[in-house]
Amino acid sequence: MNASVDRASAQNSRQATASRTSRPVRRGLKIRTKLLLLVSFLLVIPWMGYESVREMEKFLLEGQEQALELTTQGISSILGNRSDLFDPGVGVPELVGSSTGNPLKTLEEPLAIDAPAGVWAQAIGELSSFTGVGLYECGADYRPDLLAVRHAMALNADMLFAYFEIDDDRVVLRDPGLLSLDSNDQIRLTIQRGSGEVSRYLLTTQEPGRISVYLMKPNWREVVNGEALRDIVGTLEPGEGGYAVKIRIPREFLGTGARLKFEVVDVDDEASRAIRQIISTEPDPFRFEFGSVRLATPELAKLIQPLYVAEANITVWDAFFRVRAQVGSVFPPVREAFGRAPQKRSLLTQIEDRFLEFFEWILRSPQRGVKDMPVDSSREDRRLLSRVIAEGNSITERRRYGEAKLIVTASPIWAAGNMEGAVLVKQSANKLLSLQYRTLQRFTLLFLGVFIFLGIAILVFATRLTYRVGKLQRETEQAATPEGRLLKNRIRAGSRSSDELGSLTRSISALLQNLGQYTQYLEKLPDTLAHELHNPLNVVNSSLENLQYNHAELSEDKHLQRARNGVGRLRSIITSLTEAASLKEALTREQVQSETFDLALLVRNCVEGYQAAHPGYRIVPNFSEAPVLILGVPDRIAQMLDKLIDNAIQFGSENGLIIVNLRRDAEFIELSVLNDGPSLPDDIADRLFDPMVSSTKDARKTHLGLGLYIVRLVAESHRGTVRAENRRGSRGVEVTVALPVEIRRRG
Amino acid sequence: MPTVIAIVEDDPDQRENYSDVLKSHGYEVRTYADRPSAEAGFARELPNLALLDIMLGEDMDGGFDLCMQLRNMSPTLPIIFLTARDSDADRISSQRMTAWDYITKPVSLEFLVARVHALLKISDQLQSAPTASTTVSVGALELNEDSMLVRWKGQSVSLTLTEFWIIESLTRNPGHVRTYDALSDVTRQGLVERNTINGYIRRIRNKFRELDESFDRIQTVHGTGYKWEQGSA
Repeated sequence: MNASVDRASAQNSRQATASRTSRPVRRGLKIRTKLLLLVSFLLVIPWMGYESVREMEKFLLEGQEQALELTTQGISSILGNRSDLFDPGVGVPELVGSSTGNPLKTLEEPLAIDAPAGVWAQAIGELSSFTGVGLYECGADYRPDLLAVRHAMALNADMLFAYFEIDDDRVVLRDPGLLSLDSNDQIRLTIQRGSGEVSRYLLTTQEPGRISVYLMKPNWREVVNGEALRDIVGTLEPGEGGYAVKIRIPREFLGTGARLKFEVVDVDDEASRAIRQIISTEPDPFRFEFGSVRLATPELAKLIQPLYVAEANITVWDAFFRVRAQVGSVFPPVREAFGRAPQKRSLLTQIEDRFLEFFEWILRSPQRGVKDMPVDSSREDRRLLSRVIAEGNSITERRRYGEAKLIVTASPIWAAGNMEGAVLVKQSANKLLSLQYRTLQRFTLLFLGVFIFLGIAILVFATRLTYRVGKLQRETEQAATPEGRLLKNRIRAGSRSSDELGSLTRSISALLQNLGQYTQYLEKLPDTLAHELHNPLNVVNSSLENLQYNHAELSEDKHLQRARNGVGRLRSIITSLTEAASLKEALTREQVQSETFDLALLVRNCVEGYQAAHPGYRIVPNFSEAPVLILGVPDRIAQMLDKLIDNAIQFGSENGLIIVNLRRDAEFIELSVLNDGPSLPDDIADRLFDPMVSSTKDARKTHLGLGLYIVRLVAESHRGTVRAENRRGSRGVEVTVALPVEIRRRG
Repeated sequence: MPTVIAIVEDDPDQRENYSDVLKSHGYEVRTYADRPSAEAGFARELPNLALLDIMLGEDMDGGFDLCMQLRNMSPTLPIIFLTARDSDADRISSQRMTAWDYITKPVSLEFLVARVHALLKISDQLQSAPTASTTVSVGALELNEDSMLVRWKGQSVSLTLTEFWIIESLTRNPGHVRTYDALSDVTRQGLVERNTINGYIRRIRNKFRELDESFDRIQTVHGTGYKWEQGSA
């Protein structure tokens, strides 16, 4: 039985008629795909994480806001009722021109007005360049090589010092012959005193050295008072590619709360003496405002110094929008990278860097935000302050500059019911966000690790599961032929596994075993039956013989004859039953007796024998003389042929024609026997080669349907297949045995 | 002195039928239904020939056991197994116990009597000195019809009666085909299927091959029968 092999079953399935149910295949997701889809639900976790971190960010920012608000209010209450700190007279004017910038440098020693420009430049500190600002006045044809201004101011106890370095391609000084003061290189100074009064001073000279200062009318052409002023002292010193101007203004002269604006006027043409360019220290000429002078109050700074908050900027303003004190910066301290020479980086680290960059981009690293932080946000600050001062309430707002986030709170400072000023605290939220970012980064890395690990684990698991299920399926399919014959009674794959699949495998194995036992029982049944029938048959037979022996006169008795005929038929039935049963055993045993022989010769010899035995029929071999070598057991092949011929005769027409064909192609040798009998009955077509299947209806013919079963057994023991089909074109049935050309001897 | 034949058979109908026919042919018959009674009977009186069924009631191999006991009592006692069991394993077992014949049921009584005659005659011959005159030589094969002795290249081949008859038939006309029908007659069993003949031939070949691996004298003529090839030797 086990002689059938994959190929045979494949052949069988190929030849199985359409009525056989083929393996049902349904479209749909496979286990592995399903599990992977399931795993992809895990991706919700990082999304949730991201969302919760965002929520936390909101929460933290609110906390930070509140903390900052408290700080601000704390500062404002500390500074409350300290009118002395905001006394306009107490402050130190800090900056002229620009509304921002650093507080003015304070000098210990006064600068001598006659000291060389170099001394001034060194003492007064960093110069601000005004080349690019005031572009409107400069016009579109502004060329920095024709006029550029660098300017700085400093203070000491009594004096304000202003220093200018002016690049001028052609210096045109005042022509003594001309009355007008403004048709030459000059510096215009506008002072808005604390009272709001505006004075205009024109600084000009005929030669290098002392400068004359005149009070001018708003048109800058006519003098208010023809006399040169003595309060403001200045000198002009020619230098390389231009000149330097040193100016000294007594602080008394300015009073408190004054605002200053300088304009450098350039005249290049000595003939026409037309003004070519004006460069102003006022950044926005449209505002027609003057730069604030910061009146730094050192006491104030001392007071708020201990309140310093990390990465925060605290400014205290007075009611005139002047900064009175400033502590800290919103920018984090820059970390210097210490001598890390650019090493030769491996591909791996490069990939890692790329990955980190991508990672930072995905997670919106707050480090990038710092770049977007504006240096100057005074305009927004002023707007906020004006609201605070107007409404008298604390205001908190959040600002975004690109990726930078800034929390700003402002709180009014009260003194005896009057608003003295306000505290403005700015803090970068990016520090907080960088903490959050680190959390997010850690979380993401952790999750990514878990996800990859889980993904791989599930993939491996699913693949293994699919593989096992597939193997189980294959083995189960191979356990029986499409006709339902069992080929094996055990599933080996995964039967040792303790899980459900293992127990399914064992269940199937047990099922197969039970089926196998039952099949075995069914297959043994004829043999057992035959064996049991032998004894009573022997009784009948021997009794009949004794009867005949003892009563010689009965030997011609027709009833005795019929009884003996009946015994003979019974006997041949039993013989064919045992033949089939013992054949199966014999075939397995005889595998080793295989030999290579000429099948064509064997068939031809057999056919001759059959022709002799059945003279009524015409039995015709229909193939060439060429030898067809095959490896097998010749006796069994002959036995198979016996059965094929018997079958053909039994179901062929009376005294008909039987044709024996032998064909050979690359893979198979096909032996077929054709008769001219009636077509195959449909109802048994599928089971024709199963035992005890016969279409004969003739009661006197003993036919158990074991002939074709024996044919199948022999064919299968030679790894061949059998099929029966109605002849095409003419009446009759063709039974074909296909034997593989290469019959591998089995161990 | 009458010839005594012992019949051991559990089925009374068959037992009596055998007994009847043998008695009517002039033999004295002792019948036993099971092993213990048979053992007791053999101890009292050794028969001239024994007909044994293998399966005796519940005793699956009772016939074999009896055969061994008889063989111990007499090495030349003809023993015939008459059984419904037709497996090669049983045949080999019987051969190992040097049974002389193995007949499967249903048996023709006529042929049974013929076999009994033949075996008794051979048994007689063996008791007296075998006469060389009845020995036939066919190449390396020596056959003594009287004593059922077969030698191949000088070595004795142990064959059953049926097998002996087949060899004898095949070698009577070496090179000529013995058809299945002819061989069927020779086996004296009534109607014999081709497959049964094939089985006899297979077993005969195996016995020869045990002595001589290259034995190939018995050739199959497929679809017709067998022939003894004389060969060059």
